[in-house]
Amino acid sequence: MANYYVTAVPPTDLNRNTEWFTYPGVWTTYILILFFSWLVVLSVFGCSPGMAWTIVHLSHFLVTYQCFHWKKGTPFADDQGIYNRLTWWEQIDSGKQLTRNRKFLTVVPVVLYLIASHTTDYQHPMLFFNTIAVFVLVVAKFPNMHKVRIFGINADQ
Amino acid sequence: MDTTISVLTNKLRDASDWVTWISEAPFARAVVFGVNIGGHLFVEGLLLVVILFLLSQKSYKPPKRPLTKKEIDELCDEWVPEPLIPTITDEMKSEPPVLESAAGPHTTINGKEVINFTSANYLGLLGNEKLLETCTRALEKYGVGSCGPRGFYGTIDVHLDCEARIAKFLGTPDSILYSYGLSTMFSAIPAFCKKGDVIVADEGVHWGIQNGLQLSRSTIIYFKHNDMESLRNTLEKITQENKQAKKLRRYIIVEAVYQNSGQIAPLDEIIKLKEKYRFRVLLDESNSLGVLGSSGKGLTEYYNVPVDKIDIITAAMGHALATEGGFCTGSTRVIEHQRLSSSGYVFSASLPPYLASAAVKAFDILEENPDLITKLRENINTLFKGLEDIQGMEIMSDPLSPIVFLRLKKSTGSSKSDIKLLEDIADRVLKEDSVFVVTSKRSTLDKCNLPVGLRLFVSAGHSVSDMEKASKSLKRVAASLLTDQS
Repeated sequence: MANYYVTAVPPTDLNRNTEWFTYPGVWTTYILILFFSWLVVLSVFGCSPGMAWTIVHLSHFLVTYQCFHWKKGTPFADDQGIYNRLTWWEQIDSGKQLTRNRKFLTVVPVVLYLIASHTTDYQHPMLFFNTIAVFVLVVAKFPNMHKVRIFGINADQ
Repeated sequence: MDTTISVLTNKLRDASDWVTWISEAPFARAVVFGVNIGGHLFVEGLLLVVILFLLSQKSYKPPKRPLTKKEIDELCDEWVPEPLIPTITDEMKSEPPVLESAAGPHTTINGKEVINFTSANYLGLLGNEKLLETCTRALEKYGVGSCGPRGFYGTIDVHLDCEARIAKFLGTPDSILYSYGLSTMFSAIPAFCKKGDVIVADEGVHWGIQNGLQLSRSTIIYFKHNDMESLRNTLEKITQENKQAKKLRRYIIVEAVYQNSGQIAPLDEIIKLKEKYRFRVLLDESNSLGVLGSSGKGLTEYYNVPVDKIDIITAAMGHALATEGGFCTGSTRVIEHQRLSSSGYVFSASLPPYLASAAVKAFDILEENPDLITKLRENINTLFKGLEDIQGMEIMSDPLSPIVFLRLKKSTGSSKSDIKLLEDIADRVLKEDSVFVVTSKRSTLDKCNLPVGLRLFVSAGHSVSDMEKASKSLKRVAASLLTDQS
């Protein structure tokens, strides 16, 4: 029988806040941003490569922790507030766990940590901060931590 | 703090010593990127394994926990079905009077001519010859409906004329027409007030505004009815307590003449407070347009406040103008914003053209006959004076308000029994003296908690003898029914 209708592919993400992360080239852009910020840090502060990687890693931690795991809701009004209790991380891929995007976002801080620790030769102050940062970021990204607020951190009032 | 850090650094040093001890093995003597690989390979290998493990995981959607059998049983047990038809109470059995002619200043009920105090026909324009003629001409030219929303194919020249006429009459840059008086408020409010914004509203606002407040999803704070001290305290509290308040949009929403009490908002005070605390004011002029001020321009004219001090003015045209629909007026930006963001404007069919042309005509009549307003004021004055010494009741409304609001001096205990008593008065006044008045019975959705009362809508179409008859009749019936309340 002839196919009389077109099967439309459902949109991957209806949330305008996270939809952009499904676009092609986002991973490349993300990596390039990190790499170029390393170059910028290196040239602006004139520090050692290892120190620059540590700075990049720590600022990546601060920015992503704030944007992905702390701030809740969306800036858009047309979703009627259904995402108000979810952080950006909990919103991406409509809450599906261990998707490609999530794996990518988990691997990035780990690899950054590896580079930063390796290039600083596992020296003390840097290693300490790098470990704390990667620990917090990776724990926050565990599938078991979905919608969980341990110790009521960042919980709803 | 320092000690904890030093303890931690010691621990880390121990750990790295241990790692160094592991890396004593000869395999870890390589140099990568100019860095000596000590115990690095071990840590890095471990992390690599973790990454590979992560990447090999299959994605899944967190399951929604289904209800257990016990929970389902509990829910079923808890459920009490409501009857499809509610049980009939005595209140439901009361039959309201049925009008047999148009609701002008005089109307027919049960074949008897009565004086009508129930229509907000303030200028007596209802059934005005000139208005009817305009409507007929517009009907012949355009037909009845406009057949579409304004943004598509529902805009007709009279809509634009009407908007221009409203703006010209009130002296504002622009105005926007809505199809229904009530929906003006609950479309205009959510168009400006969004989630997180702060709205300070009077607790006595009518249902249209209450609905708008609810739809806006903003933070709503009520102040005591028409109490400027309470408003000041509320504003002070908001600006003091909330450091974020300066970054939020802040609104004060008041009615010019309160439909639920007949009181007039002290606009001069509100403007002072608004400018002090930097709020925007949304004013509903539904019951003051065509009534207050020397030429009927409403509250701003009455208080001699420049109209551009009020950010947003809304009004229903179903009252003094004797047509239907509503409008919002203000600066050009305020109006243009609504043309794409106000749901009542964007998504409803536009006002029928004959009603728009009737509104234009009504403004013309109002401008040509300022004596209508004087007549109305005289009528209000007569009724007000006549009712001053009514037994058991007191006038709650302002002496200038076209809504004369009588409330019981002593409540019988609940607003339900109050309404019952007031309805008895209204019934007897209608039966014995052919004066048609209503109680301020509110919808169950209405959250207003002001006292109930009798509400008399005065019109310029009433004669002085009507007023005297009404006040005499009300006084007589009140004296006989409210003997215990003096």
